[in-house]
Amino acid sequence: MTRLMKDDGVPDGAELARLIGMVATERDRQAYARLYSYFAPRLNAFLRKSGLPPNTAEEIAQEVMLSVWRKASYFDATRAGAATWIFTIARNLRIDHLRRIRTAAASEDEQGEVETAPSGETLLLTAEREARVREALKTLSAEQATVLRLSFFSEKAHSEIARELGLPLGTVKSRVRLALGRLRVLLEGQS
Amino acid sequence: MTIRHHATDETLMRYAAGQLPAGPARVLAVHLATCPCCRSRLGEFEAVGGALLEAMPLAPMAPDAFAAALRAIDAEPQYAAVSPLSRARAMPSAPVTLPGGIPLPAALRDCEIGPWRWIGLGVRASTVRLPEDRQARLTLLRVGPGRKLPDHGHVGTEFTQVISGSFSDGYGRYGPGDLSEMDQEIEHQPIVDPEGECICLAALEGSMRLNGFFGRLVQPFVRI
Repeated sequence: MTRLMKDDGVPDGAELARLIGMVATERDRQAYARLYSYFAPRLNAFLRKSGLPPNTAEEIAQEVMLSVWRKASYFDATRAGAATWIFTIARNLRIDHLRRIRTAAASEDEQGEVETAPSGETLLLTAEREARVREALKTLSAEQATVLRLSFFSEKAHSEIARELGLPLGTVKSRVRLALGRLRVLLEGQS
Repeated sequence: MTIRHHATDETLMRYAAGQLPAGPARVLAVHLATCPCCRSRLGEFEAVGGALLEAMPLAPMAPDAFAAALRAIDAEPQYAAVSPLSRARAMPSAPVTLPGGIPLPAALRDCEIGPWRWIGLGVRASTVRLPEDRQARLTLLRVGPGRKLPDHGHVGTEFTQVISGSFSDGYGRYGPGDLSEMDQEIEHQPIVDPEGECICLAALEGSMRLNGFFGRLVQPFVRI
């Protein structure tokens, strides 16, 4: 339990990447504990928000954290930031879970993983992309940020967006497109 | 391969978020394998996911969850040495090439590719079954040169990835590597270019009513 003590500060992206590296190379449990205390409660909240019942969300959050331990050596900071990498693990496990309950036949397949170009993208560019995305998200209007956040979590969330923003359901889809268009302008504008 | 027609931001966001159904997700996976531009944009939307994850309020895990994680780790064999190669999937009896000697896209190698069947007007189709979702409707189409396809609109978005050859509609010319996303408001009339036959991979989103063009072609196979 002592290992679960709260960290003094919120670790930044570089620190999180360093911790994953320590888990990969040294199987460092202290580093793993810090990753766990930072990410597990966020994953739990994230998975609930995406529509899973609380106990399932917690089970999958736990599975994600076990995958972080197992797959730490696959983490490649030149491709994605730590939170982005862990997000994609959670996304894939969530898809697997939904498919398992839909088709009785259990399948361990992950979403078709795409071979990404190994070179050309440097660590710097990835860090810059992560920063750019975060900056752009901050610059969106409150309504656009809400639309984007909600539509990211669930298809069903369109009706939730409609309720929250007092919009007719039919216009929500076009609002999503507008928000994405704005995000695109911000992303291109900064690069 | 010069790719002129790319995935929309909305589709990339839904793929990044894990919200795109299995059929369209595979069509996109085939596109992504050949399109560095869309891979890079996908990376942006995955970074949105990372940012949203970090911005979440905390939902505490059960008090013994971390101890349980450590027990699970102790009970496991060593994972450190797992190589990416050991994760390669078994390939069922899919043919490695398509008609004309065109290689089957790598993103389809774990799929069951059905026999080609003539479905009229110089069009042949083959049903693609996905291991992760047997209900997903995904079709390879082989359309003869110069074939004019009937005007059509459809319910739901139609995702079509050109594998070889090309077709044109009012929105442009689609060659190998191009992705066409046509949503329901759009009426379009694709015509395969005269140089040769066109092989493409198509999926419709919204499996309830298959009344799009490809949906109508495919309907005899999927027996809904």
